[in-house]
Amino acid sequence: MDTNWINQLFAPLHDPKTWASAFGYSTKEPWFFTEFSFLAVFGIFLIFYAALVQKNTWRKIYLITFSLFFYYKSSGPFLGLFALMIVSDYLFALAIEKAAGVRKKALLWLSLSYSLSFLLYFKYANFFIHNCNELFGTEFTDHDLFLPIGISFYTFQSISYLMDVYRSEIPATRNVSDYAFYMTFFPHLVAGPIVRAKDFLPQIFTPQIINAALYKESLFRILIGLLKKLFIADYLGKYVDIVHELPANFSGAENLLGMYAYSFQIYFDFSGYSDIAIGIALMLGYRLKENFDNPYASSNITVFWRKWHISLSSWLRDYIYIPLGGNRKGEFNTYLFLLITMLVGGFWHGADWRFVFWGLAHGLALAFHKAWMQLFPSKSNPWYTRIPATILTFHFVGFCWIFFRATSFGSAFASIEQIAFHTQWKDFAGFWTSRQEMGIMIMIAAFIAFFPPNLKERAFQKIQVLPTFTWILWVLIALQIIIQFKDDVVQPFIYFQF
Amino acid sequence: MTSAEKQVEGAMNHPTPNTSSSPWLIVWAGLSIFLPLLLLYIYSCSPQTLQIGNLEIKQILGNQDIDAMLAALDEPEATPTATANAQAVPNSTNSLPLNDSSIPFLNNQYNKPFALPAYELPVFADTTKHRILLIGDSESGGLRYPLNDYCLANGHKLILSLEWYSATTFNFGRADTIQKIIAKYKPTYIFLVFGLNELYARDLKARKIAANQLAKKLRGIPYAWIGPANWDEDNGINKVFQTSADSATYFLTKKLTLTRAGDGRHPDVKGYRVWMDSIAGWLQTSARYKMAMKPPRKRGRPFRAPIITINAAKYRGY
Repeated sequence: MDTNWINQLFAPLHDPKTWASAFGYSTKEPWFFTEFSFLAVFGIFLIFYAALVQKNTWRKIYLITFSLFFYYKSSGPFLGLFALMIVSDYLFALAIEKAAGVRKKALLWLSLSYSLSFLLYFKYANFFIHNCNELFGTEFTDHDLFLPIGISFYTFQSISYLMDVYRSEIPATRNVSDYAFYMTFFPHLVAGPIVRAKDFLPQIFTPQIINAALYKESLFRILIGLLKKLFIADYLGKYVDIVHELPANFSGAENLLGMYAYSFQIYFDFSGYSDIAIGIALMLGYRLKENFDNPYASSNITVFWRKWHISLSSWLRDYIYIPLGGNRKGEFNTYLFLLITMLVGGFWHGADWRFVFWGLAHGLALAFHKAWMQLFPSKSNPWYTRIPATILTFHFVGFCWIFFRATSFGSAFASIEQIAFHTQWKDFAGFWTSRQEMGIMIMIAAFIAFFPPNLKERAFQKIQVLPTFTWILWVLIALQIIIQFKDDVVQPFIYFQF
Repeated sequence: MTSAEKQVEGAMNHPTPNTSSSPWLIVWAGLSIFLPLLLLYIYSCSPQTLQIGNLEIKQILGNQDIDAMLAALDEPEATPTATANAQAVPNSTNSLPLNDSSIPFLNNQYNKPFALPAYELPVFADTTKHRILLIGDSESGGLRYPLNDYCLANGHKLILSLEWYSATTFNFGRADTIQKIIAKYKPTYIFLVFGLNELYARDLKARKIAANQLAKKLRGIPYAWIGPANWDEDNGINKVFQTSADSATYFLTKKLTLTRAGDGRHPDVKGYRVWMDSIAGWLQTSARYKMAMKPPRKRGRPFRAPIITINAAKYRGY
């Protein structure tokens, strides 16, 4: 028997690099849920978690320790910054709770400024430097900055906690470890969903009961999330990368299909990640709120924003739109606040004017829809208006995604120009001939994205009937499907030109 | 105090012991994730891949340390020994044994390792007229015209251009198409030009295995393996090819700056000519298997050799 491969099997155990890589931080291999190394460690982590699940304090310590390790594996030395933020938030919240009147308000502003300062510096410093240089002809040099992973998410969580304490909606945590548990809980740490303290803190000592149904639900969510992210989104992403590299070199049809592909890519990417996060949290006994609810099946932009990245859109509503005045300060101000909120939302996504424009476009669309509904109020929404409205909404959202994905405004306009003026039917046939697999993947993605949610629910209920011991096999099959498609490289050009 | 506050404080001050969760179920949940990954890892260490019908069950992706991975995967190079050199057939460029009994891979045994056949390197002054077989993807189709000009100027004969559109290392490495064509056309020199379709490939381990298979098929016949004309930095595919090809048989095109066609990816007519000029210079001076390649006086001469075109989307070959 050939023993070489058996030696190879155990070789990593004897290699010091393996151990250094297992416990060290590498910028090349940050930990994410989609990393198989993370999943393997999470499997082992769960086995030990079983011993502590019924001991509240130990469970909390174990989870905080693993969460900090997870963050260290993702962001390395920025763990210190994160820890500093946790301790300062904890102290600020206690001070805000005790204070009253102007002092309370001043403390809130101080704490918010402090929390936001990290995000502003790491994410937006270079953006401001560039724009300052452009506008005033100054010659400030860029800072060599690395954006700490998850900072956009945990800063928003920190703000929500401080504001909730200020509004007396929740008490400040008395124990720093409780707050650390809420902030560091690794399933939502690096890419959301943005969890509110008032939803999560009550669960610390009363987690869900982990029974067979919960086990199946959580595993199902993890597998679906992995397939969405690694099988569908990443596959579509390969084509999107090619088109957006030089959109002017592709036909209108290819750009249009690139727009569709990206619309589905970003949905499956985001929602897949959220599914994994929700599934992992559920497996530990904690329920996070849903982040997506079939957003592309929305028949107008307002409904879309109720179903897309729900934790962010509801955060923007509760901590920006409503504090600004919401719809309580007159019609004009309502529209203005809507625009400001969406501009902030756009800017949150990235330090670039393209994101600001993307936010502005959505803000204008929301304002337009609000005005439309006031002019033409309609309670019924029959299928013959709902279907075209859904198609229109989807195309508007897809159009805005072009700015989101493009490498520059010029590139975005080049893509739009190709779609508007150079789309021919024969190019669709050419696409189908040369990129049939990609065409099929876009259709699969569209089918899933527009699939009625009640049928999805029914399908899941049928899957739940499968016995617990068989689920290990479904995990194996799902992982193998991911491996089968993960390395397929999309052809980066149309081949029939020669 | 609001109801939400009461709820939070109640939960914190009077924690409810959670006695109903089943620890064994959590252990099973951990195993449900860990064991499949362990199985996939064991499979990835196995030298053989499984197949269901024509579908190959792929192995889990290797580690990301490309250099270490390539070093581990590389087989020791079979180098010609002094004995082998002594047995070399003088001026054997035209007299390579190209029948089924002398070349192992024509007997469909190419998966077994075999020693590099003794072969004397031609010197630059060698005016051997070669029978050239051009194999590659769409870029080989573009390169065929300037190569044809060089062949005509130097007395070589371009006997066939096999243009396998969209093809990757998998097609060339796994399929037996190349052996069949070699057996039929009996070339004395092979030009391989491909890689443009896999610039962004990250599954380098699998491609390395296929590239090694391809290199084995070529041993015994002088060849020049021309790397893809990158338009962008690759993820390591050039390194994979370079380490699979015999020493000094790989031409690293990515260093060249070539003018591009309208698609932004393929070289244009001028780009292909510049590319071929560089290859010709290398073939005369630095390549392992040198050949006469003086620049042609006339360019753009008609191409008369047969062309076989295959579309990888319709025919994978394996």
